[in-house]
Amino acid sequence: MSSREKILASVKAHKPALIDLPVIPAFEGDGSIEKFKTVLTGIGGHAIEVSSKTECQQVIDTHYSDLKNLASTLVKATVEIDTSTSKDILEQVDLAVVEGVVGVAENGAIWVPEANMINRALPFITQHLVLVLDKTNIVANMHEAYKKLDTIGNYGAFIAGPSKTADIEQSLVIGAHGARSMMVILY
Amino acid sequence: MNHPALAEKFAKDFNRTTWHDETLWFVRQKRDRAIYPIPEFQELRTLASQIKDHTLSNLDNYLLQFEENARKNGVKVHWAADGEEHNRIVLDIIRNAPHIKGRTGPIKMVKSKSMLTEECHLNPFLQKNGVEVVDTDLGERIVQFRNEPPSHIVMPAIHLKKEDVGETFHEHLGTPKGEKDPQALTEAARQHLRQKFVEADIALTGVNFAVAETGSFVVCTNEGNADLGVNLANVHIACMGMEKLIPKVEHLSVFIRLLARSATGQPVTTYTSHFTKPAEGKEMHIVIVDNGRTQQLGRSDFRNSLKCIRCGACMNTCPVYRRSGGHSYDFTVPGPIGAILSPNIDLHKYSTLPFASTLCGSCSDVCPVKIDIHVQLYKWRQVVSKENELPAVKKWGMKGLAKMLAMPKVYNLGGKVARSALRILPHGMTHAKGMNPWAKARELPDAPKQSFKEWYSQNKKP
Repeated sequence: MSSREKILASVKAHKPALIDLPVIPAFEGDGSIEKFKTVLTGIGGHAIEVSSKTECQQVIDTHYSDLKNLASTLVKATVEIDTSTSKDILEQVDLAVVEGVVGVAENGAIWVPEANMINRALPFITQHLVLVLDKTNIVANMHEAYKKLDTIGNYGAFIAGPSKTADIEQSLVIGAHGARSMMVILY
Repeated sequence: MNHPALAEKFAKDFNRTTWHDETLWFVRQKRDRAIYPIPEFQELRTLASQIKDHTLSNLDNYLLQFEENARKNGVKVHWAADGEEHNRIVLDIIRNAPHIKGRTGPIKMVKSKSMLTEECHLNPFLQKNGVEVVDTDLGERIVQFRNEPPSHIVMPAIHLKKEDVGETFHEHLGTPKGEKDPQALTEAARQHLRQKFVEADIALTGVNFAVAETGSFVVCTNEGNADLGVNLANVHIACMGMEKLIPKVEHLSVFIRLLARSATGQPVTTYTSHFTKPAEGKEMHIVIVDNGRTQQLGRSDFRNSLKCIRCGACMNTCPVYRRSGGHSYDFTVPGPIGAILSPNIDLHKYSTLPFASTLCGSCSDVCPVKIDIHVQLYKWRQVVSKENELPAVKKWGMKGLAKMLAMPKVYNLGGKVARSALRILPHGMTHAKGMNPWAKARELPDAPKQSFKEWYSQNKKP
């Protein structure tokens, strides 16, 4: 008998009688832009509101003029990235500007599906990250967030603020392996 | 060495023990601040516990559903009965990877946090077989450099001070001698590990949650090391204990809301990554591991321990863990949860762990999936005693005490003798370390002249 059969047979023999699956009630909460911004600031991120998506370029020009290699399909890019871009080019990216699809007010997380990442590694290897989000896509909590996503797709991540660690004496350090800073542009 | 002996070693450095205690208590307080604003937090704990109850009661079917869906997604699914088989499977996947097979020279692997691979002792096995394994979580990298196991499942290097880390990095990464600034040390690790990420052939991750309905799995990190590793390497191996399953995507919402709040007091981890299909031209493997879990499933008293989502909240709140350190448990998962998981693996070796508790119940109070940890600790004590694994002093002490408590006359006389003895005998004798371990670090109160029983019979109203 293979391990697979052995394990499955053993689970069957050892499991208790079937217990019902509970129904998750509809939990509500504060899904306001203000709440989202407050929580995001609390976890080391930062949000800017603009009146239309076209203003993104201006925001990037104002805040990140010192960064050289910019990857994006939303604003003017200086480095071409696609799914097959080599590691040594990805490694040079200073700033990635990509679009998120759902924001969660209770924890400041934004869902970024694979299609928006340009390359799966980009949002993680970039030195700085900007996520662009339609403010009408902010929901109160994780229950609403998963409901709003039709599918979790092939790959995707909730990203909440910049990369961080507190592994040395519990001192919070921003910029562990991933993005050193994270800004959200709400339009 | 057993828990009391290792704990005594840790507690010798009084200031460091106090610092360890306070640091973990600080994390516990952060947890409290993170949960109080969520009105439905207690309801979420109940739901999480019930979802796990249901899943465990139908685990074989969910495993099959998960396997089928993962295979449809182009993911290869492997099954390992124990740690040894798990390690062998991982090595086979590595050696047969298309870009490695037939190639000479070192094979490089980056790993994000996985307690399961610690449990299976994967690192030494792979290293012996010519694979360079780099732990990429900062805390894990620190303890890997020092050749130590993690002392906490969420904060692997919590037993170290920044000066210790500075020394280690000076030795291994060439940081200036005496550098102890966490910011500077983290930056040095970032530079060092970025190179490792880019060079890696293989990335291995753990699994926080596996979703049966989609065949997906979720990995949570704050550093971004799981995603960086996986998305730069050609092969992703994800290792999961079979109890990580949940039925549907909608159930993730309950667990994601609980996990980081309970673990570190954050509203959510920075990265909550959902892996379903490999990227084009790349491989994704899942290794499902039993290693004693089906046995635990069959023990109705201890089954609940399989609900654990590895948040570490029970460690942060435990007065014994905080003052004895993770290494004193000498098991992959320390703290209260480790003390109920370990006897299932090896009752003899871990027979002292169920006693590493005051049974105060704080662990059960903070557990996000409502495991009755302190009740299970108490029940394991009964098993340890029945299996004759109690140390002789405790065994005969208990027996003697039971006899005395059953004979009121002897008990009354014993109380009298003890009360006068405490008053008359010199301190050095009543507090002799060999005779009275309780008084090792504690003062006894002044002995009263009479017992409560005597006082009551004098003062009760007729």
